[in-house]
Amino acid sequence: MIRLTAARLLSSMRRAPHALVVPLVVGASLLLSAPPAAAQDAIFKLDPASRNVVDLVMDSAMAAGLPNRSIFSRALEGIAKKASNRQIVDAVRRRLVSLRTARARLGGVSDDELEAAASVLEAGAKPEELARFRARPQGRTQLEAFTVWADFLARGVPKDEAFSAINKLWQDGADDAIFHSLWNNVQSDILQGLSPGTALQNRIRETPQRATASAGKPPEGP
Amino acid sequence: MSDTEHPYVEWIAREAKRPVELDRGARDRVMAAVRAEGAHRSITPARRRWSKLLEPRVFRLSPALTTLAAAGLVGIGVLAGGLKNWGVRKDGRPLVDTATQSPVPLQTTDTVVKFVFAGPRASTVSLVGDFNGWDTTKTPMARDPRSGTWSVALPLNAGRHVYAFVVDGTTWANDPSAPLAPDDGFGHASSVKNVPGPTL
Repeated sequence: MIRLTAARLLSSMRRAPHALVVPLVVGASLLLSAPPAAAQDAIFKLDPASRNVVDLVMDSAMAAGLPNRSIFSRALEGIAKKASNRQIVDAVRRRLVSLRTARARLGGVSDDELEAAASVLEAGAKPEELARFRARPQGRTQLEAFTVWADFLARGVPKDEAFSAINKLWQDGADDAIFHSLWNNVQSDILQGLSPGTALQNRIRETPQRATASAGKPPEGP
Repeated sequence: MSDTEHPYVEWIAREAKRPVELDRGARDRVMAAVRAEGAHRSITPARRRWSKLLEPRVFRLSPALTTLAAAGLVGIGVLAGGLKNWGVRKDGRPLVDTATQSPVPLQTTDTVVKFVFAGPRASTVSLVGDFNGWDTTKTPMARDPRSGTWSVALPLNAGRHVYAFVVDGTTWANDPSAPLAPDDGFGHASSVKNVPGPTL
C-alpha cells in the first residue's frame, strides 16, 4: 500500500508540469499577443501639450452637447496617418468649430448628420448654405446629401455649383438612392476625364425629373 | 533511578523483547477483517474523483517553467487591465462622451459590410477607420488569389463611418467605390460609408 501511494505521488509529480503547460502557454501567448499599452491607448502617442489640447477640445464638445467621438476619432486618424502634433491639434480644433457651427445652423439632428455637416463645412461650404437644410420632413435624413456634397467639394466641384445641385435635389425631395446615384455618375464621369464642374452639370440636368419621378422608389441601375 | 526499581525495569525490557506468539490463524483473521472493511466502504467513482482532486500533491517546477508561469500571469493581468481601462482617460473619465450620442440607441452589430480593395500587387492590405480606432493592425484584409482583390467583412453599427485602406503598411488609399471624406489636413484621403439603419 505504501508502495502504491509512492507510485501515485511520483506519477502526479511527473504530470504536474504537463498540467501547468497549457495555462502557462496560454498566459504567455496573451502577454505576447496583447498590444502594448501605448497601442491600446494611441492618444498617448501625442506629446503632453497636444494631448492636453485634445482633452480640452473634447471637454468643450461634451459641454456643448456635441459628439466628441468625432473629435477623438479625428485625433486617432491623425496619429495613424503619422501627422504632426500641430496638424492633429489644428484638425481637432477645426472639427470642434465645424460641429458647433453645424449645430447652430441645423438644430437638433443626429450625431451622424452633425458630423457629416461638419465635414461639408470643412470642405468649404458656407454656414448659411447649410442652414437651407434645417427643415426636413419627418423620417428624412440629410446624411447622404451631406456626404455627397462633401465629396463633390473634395473632388473640386465649384462650391456654388455643388451647393446649388445638392440644395435643388434636397428641396425636390430626393431620397438617399438618388443622391448616391448622382455621386456614382459624377465620379464616374470625372474618372473618365470630365472636369468636376462639367460632370455635375451634365448629371444634374437629367436628375431632377428622376428625383421627382422616382422619389421613394428603388434606384435605377448604373 | 533507585536500585529497588531496577528489577522491574529489567522485567519490562525482557517482556518487551519477548517475541509475540500468535496462533496460525491470527494473520488470516486480521487480513480477512481488513478486506471486509474495504468492501464495506465501497468507494464510488465520484468519490474517488473528488478524492483525487482534493488529495495534496507535490509540484516541482524548473526555473524556466516558473519564469513562464510568471510571464503568463503578468500577461493575463496586462490584458485584463487593458480591457478594463480601454476608452478611459488617465483620470478615469471616459474618452468619448456617450451621453451626447444620438438619442436613438445604436444597434449592436446591425449590418455586415464588405470592404473590397483592388490591389493585385500589394503584399498586405488592412482596413482602418473610426470603427477600429484607426488601428492599422486590427483589421487585415484577405486576398483573393484569382482576382487579386482584397476584402474583409465587418459588422458595423448604423451611421456614418470614415475609413481608408493601408497598403503594405505604409501607403494610404481611399475607397474608389465610396464618397470621399474631405481633406483633414493629414495628407491622405479617406472615404465615407453610410450604413443604413434605424438611426438614419
